[in-house]
Amino acid sequence: MKLPSIQLFTLFRIICAAGMLTLSGVSLAASRDIPDLDGLWSFGQCPGGGFLSCMTLEENDPKLTDRALAYQAAIDEMAQPKYDCAPMPIPHMYTDPYNYRLEQLDDRVRIYYGKDDVVRTIWLEGHDHPKPAINEFLYFGHAVGKYENGSLIVTTSKFTFDPQGLNADFRIPSSTQKQVIERFSRDGDDLILEVSTTDPFFLKQPWTFQVRSAPVTDMGDAWTCELDGARRSLRFEVSKYPEDPEVERIKY
Amino acid sequence: MNLNKRILLIALAWIFMAGQVSAHHSTRGIYHDDQVLEIKGTVKEWAFVNPHPYLTIEAADENGVLRNWDVSYGGAAVVHLQRQGYSSETFTPGETIIVHGNPARKEGVYGILIEGGGNHPTREDGTPVVAGGSMF
Repeated sequence: MKLPSIQLFTLFRIICAAGMLTLSGVSLAASRDIPDLDGLWSFGQCPGGGFLSCMTLEENDPKLTDRALAYQAAIDEMAQPKYDCAPMPIPHMYTDPYNYRLEQLDDRVRIYYGKDDVVRTIWLEGHDHPKPAINEFLYFGHAVGKYENGSLIVTTSKFTFDPQGLNADFRIPSSTQKQVIERFSRDGDDLILEVSTTDPFFLKQPWTFQVRSAPVTDMGDAWTCELDGARRSLRFEVSKYPEDPEVERIKY
Repeated sequence: MNLNKRILLIALAWIFMAGQVSAHHSTRGIYHDDQVLEIKGTVKEWAFVNPHPYLTIEAADENGVLRNWDVSYGGAAVVHLQRQGYSSETFTPGETIIVHGNPARKEGVYGILIEGGGNHPTREDGTPVVAGGSMF
């Protein structure tokens, strides 16, 4: 069927208008909901010149449960996974002064940390990503993200039990019930990160902090953990359980 | 200023600096915080690796017996020491250096903690091995 030229012109206008509406709709949605987080960011610093102090969970922090304190007293330093090059957990990773990179893709966000060569994947909602099986637990947990009011909100759960899961310096573990909520947003050129961590076994109340990162151009060298470097200080540790057989660690 | 005052001031400055860099390490309780030892020895090994670079020097113990001493920068990683001027070339096997630090508590092992807060080893002529600066 051949359409008259006037009808063709009208059809062309309708298609153009629809296209523009769609484009402007996408553009509005992007500017309203999806912040531009893509790039390299400095390690987050506390408000008011507090450096890293607002993030640290103290050895005898009032937020710790009696169970956490009892665990801390029972386990000895040499049993910590960090001596086997196990990476820092989330969110303790943020308390180390290393830059990191955010990569925003259509269906996921990746976070590359300068410490421990860690890469996390945040699975964005609405893309039918598979969930972990009921019996599946992950060292960095299963992270799901969504954009909301100009922020990326990431909820991570399904962590393995981790002997250094809340703090690797003070032997504070985390349970399979640990949940970490991270909110990433922009303030001018800076990146704002708010973190709230709950663990009903080891925390009486949420462990929260907010830090600010500046854009940077250098991620730093690859981390590449060396077992000799990780285990060097162990020969100076005195075992808390001297009657136990001496531990000979696996050389991977 | 007499010698005792100088030692006290150095000790206080050192405690202050150590406090600033001790947020992320696990050397607490394994070195004598209240003792400072000076050792002069020969570099055997310098491993500029993560998570913690390490330095081994051969030096005499209190009885004059040569021992391999493990010199620890505590919780400092490669990047922290790089920011202070260290590199994989900072120490050469066979060279003589002087180290001040806290001796290890455990019997039968020889270690010294120098941290990274400005207490850098010196060459034989007293020159610090690096210029120093902030770890962050």
